[in-house]
Amino acid sequence: MRGFGRFLIATLCGIVIAAGVHIAAILASPYLAEQDAFAKVQGTLTADKAQIVSAPGGENTWLPRPDPAVAVATCAFDLRNGPMRIAARTGSLPLSFSFHKESGGVFFAVTDRAAVRGELEIVAMTARQLDEARAAEDENDPSRDVRIVAPEQQGFVIVRVAAPSPSLRPQAEDAAKAVSCTAEQDP
Amino acid sequence: MQTEAPLTNAPPAASLRAPSPSGSSVTVRRVPTAFLVVYALVLGLGLGLGSAYWAINGDPPFGSLRLGPWQAWPKLGSPEADPYMRAILARRGDIPLATGEGLGFTARTDSDGMPFDSACTYAVGSLAPVARLWTLTLYDGDGRLPVTELGRRSFTSAEVLRDSQDRFSIVLSRTLQPGNWLQLPASGSFAVALRLYDPPGAAGANLEEVDFPVIQRLGCGS
Repeated sequence: MRGFGRFLIATLCGIVIAAGVHIAAILASPYLAEQDAFAKVQGTLTADKAQIVSAPGGENTWLPRPDPAVAVATCAFDLRNGPMRIAARTGSLPLSFSFHKESGGVFFAVTDRAAVRGELEIVAMTARQLDEARAAEDENDPSRDVRIVAPEQQGFVIVRVAAPSPSLRPQAEDAAKAVSCTAEQDP
Repeated sequence: MQTEAPLTNAPPAASLRAPSPSGSSVTVRRVPTAFLVVYALVLGLGLGLGSAYWAINGDPPFGSLRLGPWQAWPKLGSPEADPYMRAILARRGDIPLATGEGLGFTARTDSDGMPFDSACTYAVGSLAPVARLWTLTLYDGDGRLPVTELGRRSFTSAEVLRDSQDRFSIVLSRTLQPGNWLQLPASGSFAVALRLYDPPGAAGANLEEVDFPVIQRLGCGS
């Protein structure tokens, strides 16, 4: 009976350890994952146009469960090189931007409903760069940029352009590819 | 061996045991302690890593929104995504629709709760929630776009044929159907995704089950 009691205590200890290991593994896995979305888009860091991840039709993409009606393009950014300006000319096709952290997770999203005169333009920067930009600003001519503070230095922007009908798919792909993302020089 | 010992070698065994009863009890206690520690560690590591692996290969355990057969995780594309969601996204290499962009629902059963079977015929309709655009896409059991003779794997709200009351019906079947038809893969299970792009209001809010399409099983062929 005493041996059984010790065995029970060991089992309970094992379950407590298991709970700790489980929590640690779940929390660590986004940082340890080597095949996550950021790893796959990292090659687009130097490009100044968004690169297609999933063309409409959903063929030849690493994106799981692609939507055939939507063109998905991406730009990775590294704010250590300065703020990142992403700009698109909006048309009749639904267009949206979403901003993702390196470790996964969305921190901002906007659709073309927020476009001003057919232009959707967002500047992603760190909190420090935002302070610098504010300090450098001319009071009489304030910047009209829409500024987003990124919680991490690295991340990526996903551009989605939907094609309501198959004949609009090439147009959606061109619209997604035409989105520019340029690193701005620090002022 | 222990049971045989008394029969063949009873006197020596008894003489070995008799002189040192305390010594043998010490060894009996010490070895199990080390064994129990190893047991607890192996159990903890095995159970912990095993359950974590199992969890990140499944669906997020918390925060799901279920409306009839349709299921979504509205927080998946928001900064408030829980650690399970983040782990699962990293594992899949997936990029969710962000809150504000839209919301993706998946159905793996019909409206009666019966799992999908590609041998059957289903009708999906006749309403869909208000959104700027919605798409209804068919995936095979592994989450890939199915390769079928028809070639079409999805309908959008703009291209689906509707009746005079603005209702639609999409038939999922292996065999040719009139109207809106998506051909099911040759065998196995499948899933249907309904993605709402740019719905009014916050994603996941103001959505009601009555606004969602009903998935009705019409019958099963051989």
